[in-house]
Amino acid sequence: MNAATPDAGVATTPASWPIRLENVTVTYPNGTTALRDVSLEIAAGEMVSIVGLSGSGKSTLIRTINGLVPATSGTVTVGPHTVTGLRGRGLRRMRGHIGMIFQGFNLAERVDVYRNVLVGRFAHTPTIRTLTGIPTARDRELALRTLDSVGMLDKLWARAGALSGGQKQRVAIARALAQEPSVMLADEPVASLDPPTAHSVMHELQRINAEQGLTVLVNLHLMDLARQYTTRMIGIRAGEIVHDGPAGDATDADFERIYGRSIQPHDRLGTAT
Amino acid sequence: MTLRLTAREAGLDLPARPSRLGPTIAAIVVGVIVVLATADLDIDWSEAGAIPGELARYAGLMFAPPNWEKLPRALFEMWRSISMAWLGAMLCVVLSIPLGMLAARNVGPVWLRLPLRGLFAVIRAVPEVIIALILLTVTGLTPFTGALALGIAGIGTQGKWVYETIESAQEGAAEAVRAAGGGIAEVTRWALWPASAPALLSFALYRFEINIRTSAVLGLVGAGGIGSMLSNYTNYRQWDTVGMLLIVVVVITMIIDAISGALRRRIREGATTRGVGRIS
Amino acid sequence: MPLEAPTRPRTWRRTALVVLAVAAFTVATCIPAIGGVELDFAAIAKNWRFGAEKIGQLMQPDWTFLPRTLQPMLETLQMALVAAVASAIVSVPLTLWAARPTNPNGITRRLVRGVINVIRAVPDLVYATVLVAVIGVGALPGVITLFLFNLGIVVKLVSEAIDSADHAYLEAGRAAGGTQTQLNRVTARPQSMPLYANQWLYALELNVRVSAILGIVGAGGIGRLLDERRGFYAYDDVGLVILEILVVVIVIEVFSNLLRRRLV
Repeated sequence: MNAATPDAGVATTPASWPIRLENVTVTYPNGTTALRDVSLEIAAGEMVSIVGLSGSGKSTLIRTINGLVPATSGTVTVGPHTVTGLRGRGLRRMRGHIGMIFQGFNLAERVDVYRNVLVGRFAHTPTIRTLTGIPTARDRELALRTLDSVGMLDKLWARAGALSGGQKQRVAIARALAQEPSVMLADEPVASLDPPTAHSVMHELQRINAEQGLTVLVNLHLMDLARQYTTRMIGIRAGEIVHDGPAGDATDADFERIYGRSIQPHDRLGTAT
Repeated sequence: MTLRLTAREAGLDLPARPSRLGPTIAAIVVGVIVVLATADLDIDWSEAGAIPGELARYAGLMFAPPNWEKLPRALFEMWRSISMAWLGAMLCVVLSIPLGMLAARNVGPVWLRLPLRGLFAVIRAVPEVIIALILLTVTGLTPFTGALALGIAGIGTQGKWVYETIESAQEGAAEAVRAAGGGIAEVTRWALWPASAPALLSFALYRFEINIRTSAVLGLVGAGGIGSMLSNYTNYRQWDTVGMLLIVVVVITMIIDAISGALRRRIREGATTRGVGRIS
Repeated sequence: MPLEAPTRPRTWRRTALVVLAVAAFTVATCIPAIGGVELDFAAIAKNWRFGAEKIGQLMQPDWTFLPRTLQPMLETLQMALVAAVASAIVSVPLTLWAARPTNPNGITRRLVRGVINVIRAVPDLVYATVLVAVIGVGALPGVITLFLFNLGIVVKLVSEAIDSADHAYLEAGRAAGGTQTQLNRVTARPQSMPLYANQWLYALELNVRVSAILGIVGAGGIGRLLDERRGFYAYDDVGLVILEILVVVIVIEVFSNLLRRRLV
């Protein structure tokens, strides 16, 4: 286990964090239970896919890790932080070390790419400083470097809304990387993209995992992407973990068990590089 | 804001920031106009500093504590304002539905549609108080004049809402009825009316809410009701009674807003659950 | 074979009740003894000629009066503009505090909304009347009146629009550990600008119409002249002033529609 200091964000190469869930249950205010007594351990630097149909609870699972969805019971630990019980300032500081990308990219469409990426620096910036609108030299450099690393630096001043889907997801990845994260979460990052773009975004996540040794957790509903890009696969159905093993070894029968039905053509993205 | 390159960033090939010249010039022009307009206003800025203190002093006179002695009279006058608003809304709706329908595309003839739309636009531009000033030569300084003024002044906006609603209703259901061989009467009864009735009802209630405020304004120029009472007690400088009247106006207006708002929401939800389309 | 249709739901009873309630309310509004309006249709039959005559006089405006109206008209426009700009500036933070996505704190949100609802419940000319009595005749009570009037409209309408829109980017900002203020400053505010611009222009349009009559209670602008000439029964002058108001209102509306198409 790669133990890190609580505020590793200032270090040049952030430490990678493990994730641990112990008997986590999530019940929403409307009464639906999205996660049932889930226990899970992910080591630092792993590249894990969470596979399941929509509504299976995988979106809730990933959101309990950074506290966007609070666990009703059980304990969530990320690196040195116990997420359950964190509130306000402490929660924000912890989230500052967890990057997240979304299916819908979640960019402010009318705001330029530069400022969208600077959102990733919020947890490390005093609110007063943000109000002035002038980022520090270091924040600026981080934003530019991460944009460069995903190949989007030439769109620096473009409005996010003017970009294509793949470009938007790259900017969203740059925003998450600008946090200098210790964990990267991705909630269906390629579900809104066409197949070639989907592969390039998955490549990007794989590269981040390989080069920076970052713990990456990615929600997918497509079996071939899980097999091709991740090393470990967790299957989830009706809020419970029904599969956990090396992604490369997962058989079609495993997927049928996770989905609870026979495999259909749309469960695969199809091949492309 | 300029983006300067630090030594460490030198390796990056930054794109040039697009020029913001146009918006900047526009902002400066607007800014200069606003500053000039402010400076040129007939306001004695040397006394402006004392105004917050004055306002606080008068607020103290009005509300610490308000004088509840005249409350029954105030409620009586408030009911008069509500009556004006209600009758004005009824008159407005009764007039604007046929006029608005005739102004809708595919319903009224062109020679009628265009003048009607022009009339709506002109009425929209004339403040209600001016319509009341013309009407009072006929019916005198009475609440009846106020109700008539509200009824006529509202036609401008209400008529526009009606024809917009009808036109948006025409696109779907009316086509189907026409395709089934329906004439104008059938189309109106079976397509336009069911599709637009909830919207029109909702607009009518909204007109009532607007009129509650406007009726108080008409009262200030003499049409009677709570506005007249407020104007009188302001002239007598009986501030504690003015304070009470303001409380009555605010509380009753907010109550009516809440009731009317809840009714409108019900009408709208009823409409969507029964599947009769969208309210714009 | 006979078809079995489900029984038709009976709604006539409810409909009858609603109609009855509306009728009863309407009757109550027509009883002068309890404060209702006395419907005096006889006066219309008797005096409609006076009204027609007045409209006839208004239709013949006295153009030689025009130079005297220009200065007050300019003041009206100045008041409308200054109040619209001042309220636009103040409306930005207030609106974000009054909308749910940009202010998850229920207490401060309800507080801001409550204050705005109270401000909105007071009719425009009532502010003007009271303010003229408190700080004296002039443009300042007019500007304050319009400022409050605009603030109520902009904050309510824009915050409701923000409430009903989708704000996925806020979830991303929260996941990155930003405070609500940071998110509002960098993302929610620019994101909501078209909503603001739309209502600011609407407020400016309304201001021209309202500021034209503020002078009637002494709050500056062309309304003062309107009231004065009416006092002298100079209906040809009044006709000119009304015509001018009409032209200015329509010009501002056209101009603001052009601007709206560019901004929104």
